[in-house]
Amino acid sequence: MSDSSPNKPELGPDGAPLPAFGVNEMRLGAGQWVAVALLFAAIVLGVPRCWKRVERFDTGPDYRVPYSLSRDYWLYSRRLEQVADPKALVVLGDSVVWGEYVLPDGTLSHFLDREAGATNRFVNAGVNGLFPLAMEGLVRHYGQAIGPRKVIVQCNLLWMTSPKADLSAVKEESFNHARLVPQFRPRIPCYRADTSERLGICVEHEFGFLQWAGHLENVYFAQKGIPQWTLADDGNDPPGYPNLYRNPLSQITLSVPTPFGGDPDRGPASPRHRAWDRSGARPADFEWVDGAVSLQWGAFQRVVECLRGRGAEVLVVVGPFNESMVAASSREKFLQLRGQVVAWLGANKVPHVVPDALPSELYADASHPLTEGYAMLARRLWQDPGFQGFLTQRNP
Amino acid sequence: MLFHTWPFLAFMLVVLPVYFALRKTRLWLPWLSAASYFFYGWWNPYYLLLVVYSTVLDYFLVLLMDHSPARAAEAGRVRGWSAGDAVMRRAFAISMAGVAGIVVAGVLGPATLRPALAGLGVLVLLMAAGAWFASRLIWLFVSLVNNLALLLFFKYARFLVDNLNAVLGSFHFPGRLPDPSTLMPFGFEYLLPVGISFFTFQSLSYTIDFYLGRVERERHFLRFATFVCFFPQLMAGPIERARHLLPQFRKFPEVRLENFTDGLSLFLVGLFKKLALANYLSVYADRVYSNPKAFDGGALALGTVAFAWQIFFDFSGYTDMARGVARLLGFHLILNFNNPYLATGLGDFWSRWHISLSSWFRDYVYIPLGGSRGGRLLTYRNLFITFLVSGIWHGAAWTFAIWGMLHGLGVLVTRELEQSAFYRDRVPRIAKQSAVFIFVAFTWIFFRAETLTDALFIVGRILGSGWRSLQVPALMVVLVAVVWAYQFLYESRFRELLRNGVVRVGLAVSMMVYLCLCSSGGGAFIYFQF
Repeated sequence: MSDSSPNKPELGPDGAPLPAFGVNEMRLGAGQWVAVALLFAAIVLGVPRCWKRVERFDTGPDYRVPYSLSRDYWLYSRRLEQVADPKALVVLGDSVVWGEYVLPDGTLSHFLDREAGATNRFVNAGVNGLFPLAMEGLVRHYGQAIGPRKVIVQCNLLWMTSPKADLSAVKEESFNHARLVPQFRPRIPCYRADTSERLGICVEHEFGFLQWAGHLENVYFAQKGIPQWTLADDGNDPPGYPNLYRNPLSQITLSVPTPFGGDPDRGPASPRHRAWDRSGARPADFEWVDGAVSLQWGAFQRVVECLRGRGAEVLVVVGPFNESMVAASSREKFLQLRGQVVAWLGANKVPHVVPDALPSELYADASHPLTEGYAMLARRLWQDPGFQGFLTQRNP
Repeated sequence: MLFHTWPFLAFMLVVLPVYFALRKTRLWLPWLSAASYFFYGWWNPYYLLLVVYSTVLDYFLVLLMDHSPARAAEAGRVRGWSAGDAVMRRAFAISMAGVAGIVVAGVLGPATLRPALAGLGVLVLLMAAGAWFASRLIWLFVSLVNNLALLLFFKYARFLVDNLNAVLGSFHFPGRLPDPSTLMPFGFEYLLPVGISFFTFQSLSYTIDFYLGRVERERHFLRFATFVCFFPQLMAGPIERARHLLPQFRKFPEVRLENFTDGLSLFLVGLFKKLALANYLSVYADRVYSNPKAFDGGALALGTVAFAWQIFFDFSGYTDMARGVARLLGFHLILNFNNPYLATGLGDFWSRWHISLSSWFRDYVYIPLGGSRGGRLLTYRNLFITFLVSGIWHGAAWTFAIWGMLHGLGVLVTRELEQSAFYRDRVPRIAKQSAVFIFVAFTWIFFRAETLTDALFIVGRILGSGWRSLQVPALMVVLVAVVWAYQFLYESRFRELLRNGVVRVGLAVSMMVYLCLCSSGGGAFIYFQF
């Protein structure tokens, strides 16, 4: 071990003693730094890999990443790696694919499986709160497992209903999955994270150990850093600190929580599971952002290109959008935009399906179907010749 | 730019390789100064003007001092500009032209510029006087006025105006002093420039030392500019002296493998202190201090202890990183912290805490006031004034003034106690250390509290109310206990244990893994606000 004898004062340019190195002897020599680098590299590379073997992660039929773990991208990536069957189709999209108002057995992938008479042929790879700009980051950084296989990508025109939804508005907005959106290019005007945060996110995308650390926080520490978790208060006045004396290590149960069936916020029994007009919503005069300038549509195009670049065979499902919610005054713009989307897909030879709008009462809002809506959508897709053609093509 | 952020890493990835490539050429110094200005300007490019202005002025003031006779008697004989040397004549002419220019700009220019021009006008008139009398003392006075005026305006003006207006109001005086922000030219925002107290003090120490004949004049402007704005210590010190740092800029930097390994070692420890320890402790301390009325005495005491360690880890962590970065570049910055919470007296504490500032005040306030030369009472008066000034240096609020006064009193008391043989020889070391820590932690209440009312409330509740439901964060206590034990170990005969290579490697790896797993990023350093 090299040691430059801290007791012996170093001499400066004028021959006077230079200040002491430090006071607590954490002075490592070159050899020691090499040892540190090797050990650290072994830990950083090895631990996340070993973790996948050690931590229990059950994904039964109709599995979808739980709502509470929507931001655990490491888990998402692991989920995709688990889809070993090359014939399985990955269904990628936002909360429409995930199933915002429905239970796991009420989602599009579930009903497609039913139409196909199979189990787990269609994999629900939707993420709650996702949108095309975030989907781009998800696919690029956490979707490497989506290689040469068939992928269905849902294109939700909801994200182009206004500059705010498109994230092209200038006013600062906070939104879900900000860690997935492009941090520098293209510039998102309403996203105002500072440079340090943006660079940190870019590093995290490339550094699996940090993603794994985020996984621990998400799964075991209520989306908090471990030290912050120890000081989390219970929100009472005066506050109590339930975790002060808890051993953080005992939180790590080595088992990813599985979504339970009885989600009170979702499914036919839930009060949220009802037609949009019964919730007080009315047709809206959407602004619609032109496809030529839309950030979300640009991101969607890049998602398709990225997937195809990896050898995936992509089918795009445009919609289903609740056309009953589009006021007559903005209907023309809606059709124009959908036309632009379809034209681009056609021009780039991307197989696509534009299913007819579902009956109005089968939507919970502008874009999310209710359980019966998903069943009908799956049936319509299954009967669509383009969809069948896509399914019967040889795997890439 | 903060050391613990990603932009700094990107900055270093550009600066270091180019610096290494240029270190044997004449371009290393321009590169280092450009990097330093970029580093400072990253925060707010407008305030670069202040650093540059302060640098240019002090450089020329020392040049003019150098052309003025060293002794006052000689200066007295040099009357009028015709008798001075060419530099003085030029300085006088330029000063007078400057006065004329300022008057013209004041009359013809925008009204928002007038307050700044008025200040500048006074300064230029003083310079004209300096040139007329060829007086070193006047040049020094100009430097003092200039640097302290910058500090006064940006740091203390609002505090002074608010207090004066309150006094005027209590006497029902109809007029009010304007808010300092209204004096900013062109509608610039009135913000405290980060690190202003540090770079002005560093620059000032050079002019004072030159006046006192302690340092040679630095003729190379860029070298002097780099001394003032050297980025590792620009924001929060250590406040370097010209006689220590400037000579290091006079030769090609020697960067050896040892510099690199030492620099990384220091940086890692500093990063750990900041991200893993200070930021964690701040969660508890901030919560308690932001709403003290919601907490009982126990929680407030615990929050105070948490803050005591937070500020130590925060500031000493910054210093470690600054020293580490300087080492990477081949320079040595002075030690700024030496296990201050192991001090056995208040005087000892101040020889271990923020050493560069303590020695600055000792050399430029305490000793000029008379130091310990005038008997016990005068010594205590000088000490008290020095600590009061030190308190006010930390911030424009009564809480800082009280903090300084408390330390002044504490130093007086421990000095008295140390005179007695019983205290010196019979009181166990650990008892003295504990007493010092408790006193220092107590004074931090005034330093940290948002207002004086809050501080007094916290003191009252800690001393008065029952500690009903004390909830001690176990992890926080464990972390602090480990650090304290480490420091005790370091100062004990078991120190050799810490020099063991396996221990060091293990600690370094543990720190790095902990940083990846548990660090809470972000958060500016506390001392940046000073």
